[in-house]
Amino acid sequence: MQSRWTRSRYVFLPALAALGLFSLGCTSSEPSSDDADPPVVSNDRPVVALVMKSLANEFFLTMEDGARAHQQTNPDRYELIAEGIKDELDVARQIDLMEQMVARGADVLVLAPADSQALVSAAARAVEAGVTVVNIDNRLDEDALAERGLDIPFVGPDNRGGARQAGEVLAGTLNPGDEVAIIEGAPGAYNALQRRLGFEDAMQAAGMAVVAAQSGYWEMDRANGVAAALLLAHPELTALLCANDSMALGAAAAVRAAGRSEDVAIVGFDNISAVQELVRNGSVLATVDQHADQIAVNGIEHALAILDGGETPADLQTEVTLIMADTMP
Amino acid sequence: MREGLSLVGVLVTLSLGFGLLSDAFLTSASLATIANQLPTALTLAVAMTLVLVAGGIDLSVGSVLAVSQGVLGVAMTQLGWNWPAAIAAGLTTGLLAGLVNGAIVVRWALPSFIVTLGMMEAARGGAYLVTGSRTQYIGTDIEWLADLSWLGLSAPFLAAVALVILAEVVLTRTVLGRQAIAIGTNEEAVRLAGVDTRRVKLTIFALSGLLAAVAGVMQVARLASADPNAGTGFELSAIAAAVIGGTRLMGGKGSAVNSSLGVVIMGVLATGLSQIGVQDPTKRLVTGGVIVLAVIADVYRQRWTAARRHQDLT
Repeated sequence: MQSRWTRSRYVFLPALAALGLFSLGCTSSEPSSDDADPPVVSNDRPVVALVMKSLANEFFLTMEDGARAHQQTNPDRYELIAEGIKDELDVARQIDLMEQMVARGADVLVLAPADSQALVSAAARAVEAGVTVVNIDNRLDEDALAERGLDIPFVGPDNRGGARQAGEVLAGTLNPGDEVAIIEGAPGAYNALQRRLGFEDAMQAAGMAVVAAQSGYWEMDRANGVAAALLLAHPELTALLCANDSMALGAAAAVRAAGRSEDVAIVGFDNISAVQELVRNGSVLATVDQHADQIAVNGIEHALAILDGGETPADLQTEVTLIMADTMP
Repeated sequence: MREGLSLVGVLVTLSLGFGLLSDAFLTSASLATIANQLPTALTLAVAMTLVLVAGGIDLSVGSVLAVSQGVLGVAMTQLGWNWPAAIAAGLTTGLLAGLVNGAIVVRWALPSFIVTLGMMEAARGGAYLVTGSRTQYIGTDIEWLADLSWLGLSAPFLAAVALVILAEVVLTRTVLGRQAIAIGTNEEAVRLAGVDTRRVKLTIFALSGLLAAVAGVMQVARLASADPNAGTGFELSAIAAAVIGGTRLMGGKGSAVNSSLGVVIMGVLATGLSQIGVQDPTKRLVTGGVIVLAVIADVYRQRWTAARRHQDLT
């Protein structure tokens, strides 16, 4: 019994020490906000809190890495706290994080909301507390913002334009009237809707017949099942337009399993590392890089500009790049 | 046996119904497509049935599947291992996770629900750490496994069917299987009869982890990629399939064959509903309803069997 206690003490003591250090770290950032209130402190760096969605997602990991690299090259300009939630649907946890960040004395909140509506009130409370809030990646609902009289700038990629570009390249390889299908992201997500609209813009302009649009919930395995069913139901299908690359990977596997790699083209979105080989060998015709590493950085720069100028600048659209086999490094 | 027949009846009715509503459904291409998407779910249902029969539950199968395939994927894409070594590494990962589950459950006599809930989180974290949260594209080095086929049925599907049969034999014809069922019925009585119940339970959890890894390999072969987010929610589908197949959640009763029929019924429902153009929210509504109806039907079937036995006796 005694030996078990001693053994467990070895585990618990360092854990307690770590907790203690952690809480010290939390409190040490609070005085900076108290100092920031009087206008005399010019050398005190503003605290920028970056609140993202799931860090289990490669996209947000790249975003965080980009922000950290930017902070390290600009250590005098601001202090960075980056946090993410467990999975992309954990809205309640993200609201908690927002409140914690305000309590920790953040001067700037850069937010990639997990939900366009549910995060509006948390953003409003942060604004009331005097925090400069900038919305990145997924746009907060404009009606909900207007209702509260909030003006929160949005910095993010042109999802619809990116999807349109991918769709236009695809249309160039098809004939008018060909049957195509769209595999959408999670229903209700802003970027899922924008990408679908972008694909539809391009397909309508080129005169293609969109025979189906079904959700693959951003997931590879589900998209694989959806694609397999679509291929069976539509023997004349010539293309699958997927709202992200994970789903494009799932669709590519389904097309190959059905033995229709020659007849069915695929486009994706995000340019994740796993899809690049498929783009190189032609299984995926095109994908769209929205420069995840730059999205948070742009948001931070935008927010710092607002802090300096004291005004609310307008929205900022970040660059997207079409990736195809011949444009790849 | 009778239970299996009624499940086959449900399956045939569903298939004929979808066949009437959609021209594309009852074609060999369509049926082969459904079958080739099932091996992962079949293997997980086998794992879940073994654990449920012994009175436990394994909520970690989806996450263990993900960490096993993460190890496999990283071994092949980043370490340059050949496929047998990478698959062995993936399977070992699953086996170890299962052993850890089992060891903790028996060492501290804890409910498996909470232990495997912990493993569900831990193994998911492991999957993200191993892969750096990045999907690993493996490509032709692994997808040839899913390309091997016989009469349009892929090697993973045939392997899954073999596993179902093997598990049924283990449950009905071996000492391990009978002891597992007995433990699920009354663990204390089995222990008092002199059986080392801890060894049996450890074996069952280890098997469950190993089978989760096998399911992971099958999924990697089909998708040619290893995804750290794979398998989310699969534990619940496996439980649902087992319950549709008449497995008792409290232990002591269950059949691998019937659970696999539960998987096939869910698979036919999903593909059939999407082929007749039902939207996803409605599909979920119907699937949820089917699970609950299956359990209610099971209650009546048991009453009816009991009543008949009573009649025979009098």
